[in-house]
Amino acid sequence: MANVSLHKIGKLYGKTRVLSDINLTIDEGDFVVLVGPSGCGKSTLLRMMAGLEPITEGELQMEGERVNHWTPSERKIAMVFQSYALYPHMSVYKNMAFGLKANKLGKDAIATRIQHAARILKIDALLERLPKELSGGQRQRVAIGRAIVREPRLFLFDEPLSNLDAALRVQTRLEISKLHQQLRATIVYVTHDQVEAMTLGNKIVVLNDGAIAQTGSPLELYQQPATEFVATFIGSPTMNLLPGQIKAIDADGCTIVLSCGGEVTVNVLTEQAAVGDRVKVGIRSEHLAEDDSHDQRLYGKVSLVEHLGEVNFIYLTLADGQELVLRGDGNRAVAIGEELVVSARAADCYLFDQHGQAFLRRYPGNMLIEPKLAALSASQA
Amino acid sequence: MIRLRNLARPALVHAVLLSYTVLALFPIFLVIINSFKSKRAIFNDPLALPTPATFSLVGYEKVLQESEVLTFFANSLIVTLVSLLLILTFGAMAAWGLSEYKFRGNRWLYFIMGFGIMVPIRLGTVSILSTMVSLNLTNTLTALILVYTAQGLPLAVFILAEFMNQIPKDLKEAARCDSVSEYKIFAQIIVPLIRPAIATVAVFSMIPIWNDLWFPLILAPGSSTQTITLGVQQFIGQYTTNWNAVLASLSLAVLPVVGLYFVFSRQLIRGITSGAVK
Amino acid sequence: MNKFPWHLVVFLAPAFIIYGVFSALPLADTLRLSIFTEDSFGVRSFLGWGNYEFVFQDALMSQAFWNALWVNCKFFFINMIIQNPIALLLAALLATGRIRGVAFYRTAIFLPTLLSVVIVGFVWKLMLSPVWGVGETLMAMVGLEDYFGPWLGMPESSLITVSLISVWQYIGLPMILIYAALIGIPDELLDAAYVDGSKPLRTFFAIQLPLIYPTLGLVTILTFVGNFNAFDLMYSVYSGAGGGPEQSVDVLGTFFYRTFFGFASQIGSTTMGATVASLMFLVICVGVGLYFYFVQRRLLRHQF
Repeated sequence: MANVSLHKIGKLYGKTRVLSDINLTIDEGDFVVLVGPSGCGKSTLLRMMAGLEPITEGELQMEGERVNHWTPSERKIAMVFQSYALYPHMSVYKNMAFGLKANKLGKDAIATRIQHAARILKIDALLERLPKELSGGQRQRVAIGRAIVREPRLFLFDEPLSNLDAALRVQTRLEISKLHQQLRATIVYVTHDQVEAMTLGNKIVVLNDGAIAQTGSPLELYQQPATEFVATFIGSPTMNLLPGQIKAIDADGCTIVLSCGGEVTVNVLTEQAAVGDRVKVGIRSEHLAEDDSHDQRLYGKVSLVEHLGEVNFIYLTLADGQELVLRGDGNRAVAIGEELVVSARAADCYLFDQHGQAFLRRYPGNMLIEPKLAALSASQA
Repeated sequence: MIRLRNLARPALVHAVLLSYTVLALFPIFLVIINSFKSKRAIFNDPLALPTPATFSLVGYEKVLQESEVLTFFANSLIVTLVSLLLILTFGAMAAWGLSEYKFRGNRWLYFIMGFGIMVPIRLGTVSILSTMVSLNLTNTLTALILVYTAQGLPLAVFILAEFMNQIPKDLKEAARCDSVSEYKIFAQIIVPLIRPAIATVAVFSMIPIWNDLWFPLILAPGSSTQTITLGVQQFIGQYTTNWNAVLASLSLAVLPVVGLYFVFSRQLIRGITSGAVK
Repeated sequence: MNKFPWHLVVFLAPAFIIYGVFSALPLADTLRLSIFTEDSFGVRSFLGWGNYEFVFQDALMSQAFWNALWVNCKFFFINMIIQNPIALLLAALLATGRIRGVAFYRTAIFLPTLLSVVIVGFVWKLMLSPVWGVGETLMAMVGLEDYFGPWLGMPESSLITVSLISVWQYIGLPMILIYAALIGIPDELLDAAYVDGSKPLRTFFAIQLPLIYPTLGLVTILTFVGNFNAFDLMYSVYSGAGGGPEQSVDVLGTFFYRTFFGFASQIGSTTMGATVASLMFLVICVGVGLYFYFVQRRLLRHQF
C-alpha cells in the first residue's frame, strides 16, 4: 500500500532555508513521528508531504512515482489538522462526506464508509450535530473520522493533541495507537512532545533547525542518541550533562575527570577518543541511585525535592555549582541541604564530544554492541 | 499533473481586477487631465493628456474668481471636523454608558439608537427644518453640524460599543480596585484601547458628511455657508457651458479628497477589516 | 443604598439629547405632521387620514407615488443583481491571496465611493453626453459605436444608466465588507478542503460562500436602506428633483423633495411632504422587518 520515500527534500522561502537534506523511507504500516522543538520545520515537512506547500528541493516518491506536483487528492493522503478544521456550517455527517463527494463517490458508498468510521470512533450518535455543539475531544474524533473515510494510503497528523487538556490527551493518544493497529494504517505524525513520539511511533525522526538529527526506533533514540541534542530531547527529566576531560582510555571505555571534581568511567567505543579531549558525560536521572550501590560515584548537596508520590525528583548541587537531577524513592525522606552520594553504572552513562556528537555506547540495554556491529560490517563487505 | 490552487490563474485575476480599476479611475482621470486644457483641446481630443500647446489654467482662474471656492472648502472642513469630533466624543461616551453599566432601560436605549441606523434621518427633514427655523439656525454651519452629529451617532455608538465589549474585564476591575473615578477609567484606559474602532468610525462618518447635498441644500443654502459639494453643484448649474471652469471646479473638489484618501487608505482598510462591522 | 449614578447621565446625555432632538423627535414629529393640514397662512389643523387619502386617491398624486415606489423597487432590484454579484466577484478575487498589489486594487476600486455625488453625476453626464463625444469615442474603440445614444435622456434607458452610475460609485462598500469577511475565514479550513480534494470553485461555493452569509445579509439590508434613501445622484444628474425623462428616474426621495418644496407649478406642502416621508418610513420598516423576520433569524454566525 504505502511505501513513501523522501530524497534530499529541502525547503526555501525566498532566501531563507527552512529544511535541508531530508531523507526518509516510510514503509507500509509504519507509524512515523516527526518530533522536534518549535521552528524545527516539522510542520512544514508534513505540509510538503501533504501537497499544501511546494517542494523546493528534492523528490517525494509514492510507490515509486514522483509526486512532487500532485495534489493531495491525487497522492491519496488524508490530514488531521491541529485545530481540527471542521467546516462549521456542516453537520458531522456532511463534514465527513465532503471529501468523498468531491471525489464523486456514490451516496450509498459514502453512507457505508461514514457509518463504519463513526462506529470505530464512537461518534455515530453525533452525526447530525454541528461542530460547535461538540466537545474538543469529539471534534478531534470527527477530524480523524473525516480522514478515515477517505481510505487514504497515508494519514498525516499535525500536532492533533495540542489543543486537548492533559487527561484527554493521554486517552486520545491511546485511541490513536489502537486505531493504527486496527486499520493497519500508515501514519506520519508531527508533535513537539517527546512522550507522544516515544509511545506512538515505531520510527521517530528527530528534527532540529531544519535537518534530521536522528532517525530510529524509540529504543534506539533512547539508548544510542547520535547527538547531545537528541539525548537531551528524549527522556524526562532531561538527561544530566557533566562537562569534563578525558583522563585515560582503556579497552572498556574512558575515564573522565569532571569539572565538579569526581571521576567517572564510561563504557563507550573509543576509536575517536584522545586523552585531554573536552567531553560531556551524560547520565539519565533514572540511572542514578540514591546511594553508593554502583561504582561511579558523585557527591552533592540537595537543593530541591519534588514529591510526586511514588517517586521524588531530587535536585543536587555539585561541587562546581552544577545541578543534577535524579529519581528517588518516594517513601524515603530527603532533606534540603542534606549531603548525598549518588551513583551510576559505567555501562549506563553516555559520552559526547566537544561538538555534541555521541560516542557509541558499548552496552546499550545491557547487551554488548560489538558483535552486532561486526555482523553488520560483515554483511556489508 | 499541475493544478492551480486558486480560483483562477493569477494572470486572469489581475486582468479582471485591472479592468475594473481602470473603469473606476478613468472618469476621474479624464476630468483632471481635461481641467488643464484649453477649451478647444477639450473638445477636439478629450482623451489626450495636456501638452504644452494645450495646457491652460483658464478654468481654474475662472473658478477662483467667480466662486468662493475657498470659503466652501472652509465650510466643508469646519462642518465635517466639528461633527466628527462631536460624533466621536459623544458616541464613545454613550457607547461606554450603554455597554458597561447594567441598568433598567439599557436595552430600550440601545434599541432607540439602533433605530437610527436603519431609518434615514432625511425622513424627518420637515421637522428638522422647522426646528432650525425656530432656533434661528437656518443658513448656519451650526445647523449642519447638529444634524450630521445626530446622523452619525447611531452607527458610532454601535461600532464603539461592540469594541468596548471586547475589552477584558480585568482591566476595568483593576482600575476600580484602585479607586479610579469612572471618568478617568473612560478617558485614560478605555479610549486609548479602542483607537482602531475610532478610526473606522471616523472614516465611515466623514464620507457621508463631506459629500452630502441634501442638508446643505435645505438648511444652509446661503452663499456664505455653502459647503464645497453644494458650491460646486451651484457653480456647475450657473456656468454649464464653461467647460474649463466646470472641469476645474470638479477637480478642485476631487483632489483634496483623493489626496487625503491615499494618505489614509491603509488606516481605512484596516479599520473596516478589523471586524468592527458586525 | 447607592448614590445616584451621575456619571451614567453624563455619559449618556449628550449623545441622546442631540440624537433625540435632531433625529428621533423630528421623525416622530413628521409622522405627527402627516395627519395635519396646513393652510396658506401656515396654520395647522388636525386632519386625520386626509393626507393619506389624498396620496392614494388623487389621480396625479397617487400615480406619482406609485411610480416613485415602483421605480425605487426597480432601482433596488438592479443594484441587487448587478452591484452585489460584481462586488462578490471582486472581493473573491482580492481574497485569493496569491495576488500582489491587493492594497492598490482595494484603494483604487474604493475611490469612487469617496467622491461627492455632484462630481459623479456630472462626470458621467459629461462622459455620456453626445456633445462631448467621449462616450461615443470609447465605444467606437470596441466597435460598438452604433449602440451609443443619449441614454440618460431616454426614458427606456435612463433608470438603468443611473443605476449603473450608482453601482460604479458605491460598489467599493459591499466589496470591502465581503472581502473582510472572506479573509476572516481561517486558512486551515481552506487547506482541509484542498486536502479533501475539493477544486477551488467548489470550495468557494460550498465552504466560503456559506460562511459569509451574515455579511451578505448585511450588504443586502444596507443596499436596501441606501437605495430607498436615494436622492443625491438623481438630483445631480438631472439638475433637480424632477425625476428624469417622464419620471423614469423618480424615486421616493425625489418625490418627497418635490412634495415638500414644490416643483414647477406644484406648490410645496409641509404636511403633504410629511405624509410622503411617513410612507417612505413605512416602506423601509416593512422591508427591514421582512428581512429580519425571514432572513436574519436563519443566519448562523460562525465563531472562528
